[in-house]
Amino acid sequence: MALEDVPRLGCGRSIDEVWAGIDQPPTGHEEHCQYCQTARTRLQRLQEATVALRESDLHDPELKPRPGLTRAIMDVARAEVRRGNRLLVRTTDHGTIEISEQALDSLIRIAATAIPGIHSRRCRIDIRTLPNSPHETTSTARAPRLVINFRVAAAAGIDIPKTVDALRQKIRTAIPAGIGIDAGTINITVEDLYDV
Amino acid sequence: MDDHGPGPEPDEGDEGSIVARAQDGDLAAFEHLVIAYQDRIFRLAYRMLNDRLDAEDVVQETLTSSWRSLPLLADVNAFGAWLYRLATNKCLDLLRRRSTHAETSTDPDELLGIGEHGFPQAPAGTDPADQAQWSAQQEGLAAVLNTLPPAQRACWLLREIHGRSYTEISDTLKISPTTVRGMLARARHHIAEGMGQWR
Amino acid sequence: MSDPYLPGSLINSQLIASLAARTALETPGVLRLEPTLEGFLARLGPAALRSLRHPGSQDGSYRHDGVTATINDGTARVDLDIATDIAYTALTVAEAVQQRIHENISHTGLTPGRIHIHILSIEPRPE
Repeated sequence: MALEDVPRLGCGRSIDEVWAGIDQPPTGHEEHCQYCQTARTRLQRLQEATVALRESDLHDPELKPRPGLTRAIMDVARAEVRRGNRLLVRTTDHGTIEISEQALDSLIRIAATAIPGIHSRRCRIDIRTLPNSPHETTSTARAPRLVINFRVAAAAGIDIPKTVDALRQKIRTAIPAGIGIDAGTINITVEDLYDV
Repeated sequence: MDDHGPGPEPDEGDEGSIVARAQDGDLAAFEHLVIAYQDRIFRLAYRMLNDRLDAEDVVQETLTSSWRSLPLLADVNAFGAWLYRLATNKCLDLLRRRSTHAETSTDPDELLGIGEHGFPQAPAGTDPADQAQWSAQQEGLAAVLNTLPPAQRACWLLREIHGRSYTEISDTLKISPTTVRGMLARARHHIAEGMGQWR
Repeated sequence: MSDPYLPGSLINSQLIASLAARTALETPGVLRLEPTLEGFLARLGPAALRSLRHPGSQDGSYRHDGVTATINDGTARVDLDIATDIAYTALTVAEAVQQRIHENISHTGLTPGRIHIHILSIEPRPE
């Protein structure tokens, strides 16, 4: 793929050079050069055909995948998400209670939608349980501690520290209310700004 | 100012946030991305492969494998580029497998005649004279496109039909941006020549 | 086999599974049992499903969407996947489900074993 592979016309100019000037009137050289004139005509036709193809493909109802495809893709995704991480949040006399990381995530995201100027991004949750002694079987002794690492995008121009505080506060109340455990540590990172 | 709905609905303008949610397993966010990209990927795959079913397979494989490896995507703003790369490479793999299995002719002049299926129809309501010229041009372009070597065709489609950047195309095809420019120039030259012959 | 009056032989795992499922669905704050991979396969067709589901199989367990029940030596163990209503506190809901299933199993004459609850989703109740 050396540079000399770039196609050149009989007059020595490259196709690229002609292409670059296709929207402008012909140059002095092009007006007199047979090679350039032929190339210009062809490239102009190519350009028109390209635009036409782009537009017709975009709007051609035939050029869409079958209607059931979205569903098929989502079925696979849905089946796989259920095997995601589960966090053990309580051991009772009757058994264990686990919560999927996904459920915690969505609770946090729903909380975040109440804060204007914040878009949720990634959320990682660790759960730290104090090592329990072999005698303990009930819930009271081993309160799990969440460590939430939440990344967000903020609207350009907002007061970031104030908004992040409001967000943290919102999560701190949403988790005990929605799940029944302490929110633990909430680390919030503003990783991006978005235009309003 | 901010009009947030009741649920965590994705916001159109901030694809990065939608991608990030999908990375965490948010199905609604992922579905939003599937709907946003499936038609584009299909159009690319169809023009690469000239086969509806193969193109649909590429769309399905690209999007389901994107779901699986989504957590590994470092830059949420690069999702589109990444999907195009997955899809393009799936098309190129498929064409490679086809060429080793089938006795398809690789002579451009012979191939020129076999692209008769799958050409787009002129938009309804087009003047008949315009329509004739329009479809002749379309057929010429679509047919010549099929005669390009796969990487060159991918390069041309990504740039001219899908408006992807030189840098992105060079990442996708694992060639330098300079080589992309050269490849694109050869593709244009080849297509312009071919269309001339078609007339 | 040896003694037809043992509760374990009258109450099978399928019955315990449906008892657990019904109990869960009657508990305030439970939206639904969460379909698992099996639920997804069910939509693919009966053949795919048959290959997965073995009602009353040798290991004495029964699986249905979101619930697995196993009976061993007269003890019934239950695994349940649920989605809860965001208006409720999920752990309180899960504990109530556990408590009720525990009681309902003991009414069958079987010994309630471990009851594992997995909260797979917390979401607003659909209008």
